[in-house]
Amino acid sequence: MNEHSRKRVSDGVMMFGRSALALLVALLIGGVVISLGGYSFVEVYTAIFKGSLGTSRGMLLSLATATPLMFTGLGFAIGIKVGIVNTGLEGQLYMGGLTAALVGIYVDFLPGPTHAAVTMLAGAIGGGAVGLLMGWFRTRFGAPEVITGIMLNSIITYFTGYLVNGPLKPAEAASPQTAPILKSAELSRLASKSQLTTALIVCVILCILIYLLQRRTIWGFKMTAVGMNPLAAKVAGINGSQMYLAALVLSGAMAGLGGAALVQGVFKRFVDIISNGYGFQGIPVSALAAHNPLGVIFAAILFGVLKAGATMVNQSTTIPFEFVDMVQALVVVFVAAPSIILSPIQKIRSFIKKKDSGPAAAGQGGAA
Amino acid sequence: MNNDIILAIITSTLRLSVPVMLAAVGCSFSTRAGVTAFGCEGMMAAGAIFAVIGSDFTGSKWIGVLLAVLAGMLVSSLHAVLHVKYKVNATLSGMSVNLLGAALGALALKLVWKVSGMSPEVAAFSKIAATPSLSWMARIPVIGYVLGEQSLFFLITIVVVIVGWVFLYKTTFGLRMRMVGENPVAANTVGINTVRYKYMGVLVCGLLSGLAGAFLSLVGMNRYIMGMTAGRGYVAMVINNLGASNPIGSALSALFFGFFDCLQFVFQGVRTPSQILMMLPYVFTLIICVGNTKRSKGPAGVGQHFDS
Repeated sequence: MNEHSRKRVSDGVMMFGRSALALLVALLIGGVVISLGGYSFVEVYTAIFKGSLGTSRGMLLSLATATPLMFTGLGFAIGIKVGIVNTGLEGQLYMGGLTAALVGIYVDFLPGPTHAAVTMLAGAIGGGAVGLLMGWFRTRFGAPEVITGIMLNSIITYFTGYLVNGPLKPAEAASPQTAPILKSAELSRLASKSQLTTALIVCVILCILIYLLQRRTIWGFKMTAVGMNPLAAKVAGINGSQMYLAALVLSGAMAGLGGAALVQGVFKRFVDIISNGYGFQGIPVSALAAHNPLGVIFAAILFGVLKAGATMVNQSTTIPFEFVDMVQALVVVFVAAPSIILSPIQKIRSFIKKKDSGPAAAGQGGAA
Repeated sequence: MNNDIILAIITSTLRLSVPVMLAAVGCSFSTRAGVTAFGCEGMMAAGAIFAVIGSDFTGSKWIGVLLAVLAGMLVSSLHAVLHVKYKVNATLSGMSVNLLGAALGALALKLVWKVSGMSPEVAAFSKIAATPSLSWMARIPVIGYVLGEQSLFFLITIVVVIVGWVFLYKTTFGLRMRMVGENPVAANTVGINTVRYKYMGVLVCGLLSGLAGAFLSLVGMNRYIMGMTAGRGYVAMVINNLGASNPIGSALSALFFGFFDCLQFVFQGVRTPSQILMMLPYVFTLIICVGNTKRSKGPAGVGQHFDS
């Protein structure tokens, strides 16, 4: 093992430790908060993990819940590598879901698997187009993607809301939704009576591909360089604008695929609300993974387990499963600034050390 | 267009501008101290939920407002610690604060009232015309009607805008704060504690955003509803940018947002689909954001620290 790869491994271990610590402390604080609400800390966590990992149904639900999170988490990770905070994932997901639904409903001449693949591609294009728009705003006008993303989220969700309440709503439908997509566009399920579909496999493959893109290609190298130091990259002759555009398109495409996966695998049509804030939950997923595409796979599954567990529990008893949202937010805080956890620990450690060395120093003073 | 519609537009524009105005003035302080106010949304959400909790538990809307302000400041202090102390990128620290604010709202609904989606109704502020001690204002000629339709918050907001402007532009404190935002290294050289001024800027932002949140829940709705901030924290940033990070400029710019926001209520039921009307304020904000960013004159040293 040479010096370089040894450093990479030790960095990896550091990152892993940092994320694990962040998650642990976040879970701990989440636990304290729910105990303040009169729930038992231990009971809630055992119930959650029993619910999600104890039964095969729970495990399938965990993976199904993880799927959209993985897509948006991967999307966020792609952006942040270039220094882009893509807050438009939610809107991109909706747009991807819409374009996928349109292709799924109206393109009726393709055979089964091809149709499903083309439909997913349409989702990626829909999401990517929104990313492209944000990238254009950023590179041409200097508009921060954080704000344009949030505004586009609202605009797109109102727009799709208008479509499913009006032009796209079939006459016989009671609730706001489009007509069902064709059978040929549906994703096949990995287990019966589960919402787990082939989308998960697609996403895992994409995570690996993006990882390879970032680590093994010139494009990936350029993106990383821009993300680390835009000025230095510019001096080195890398076109930063191009990288921002590429990252936002790719990032939006991932969120769009997430929307397509929801339409093709879960709802079988486009409905008014296809996402419960999956776009924003991509941020904690990516943060927990230290913004590493391979890590996203595991981070998404972990949050999937937490969420699914909380839902499973919630069916029998009432547990505030909203606390999972708080755990996620805290993970972002602690991963961003690990010193918040580490500096108190260090202070305590140095305090204990001082206590130990106190008498020794005093002794020396006496001898002198 | 008849007079009724014009009056309705004026009154609801003023009413709907208030939260964005308050938060935008907060953003002015934060930006002038050199910290991008990305966490506004979370501070507003925290303010909105704690206003309702305070009002529900004590039956006093004023305790609710106090709690909202404190919650906003608490959340903003997290943003400040992350960005100023630990030098986390302001965008990322702001986003984490926003996620936390939204999560707090959802969790509090479940823990306090065992509900999800929205809280029960609580004691809230009424219109000036319906408030006994203030109803004389509604009888002032010409502006009486418009004023009577506003809440006490409207008056508070006017005071906040003026005091904010005086503070930033007519006091030593404000001069120093602006210097920290322009050039933290130079400010540090002349002996200004840049860290303290940055903290203060962010805390004022939290205070005013918390107040804006209290307006949303205690004046707008009488209750907390999930996602009721609806991106207004980000809108406030854009509005602040349009107002060149000056409290008075921000306040005037906020009126535009209020105008586009009120159309959905004024033209309710007129043949345009409601979603398209609801989209308008965001389309407006997006256009402002895209068109104004390059030529906006914010402080030069935003995001810089004195020791980096």
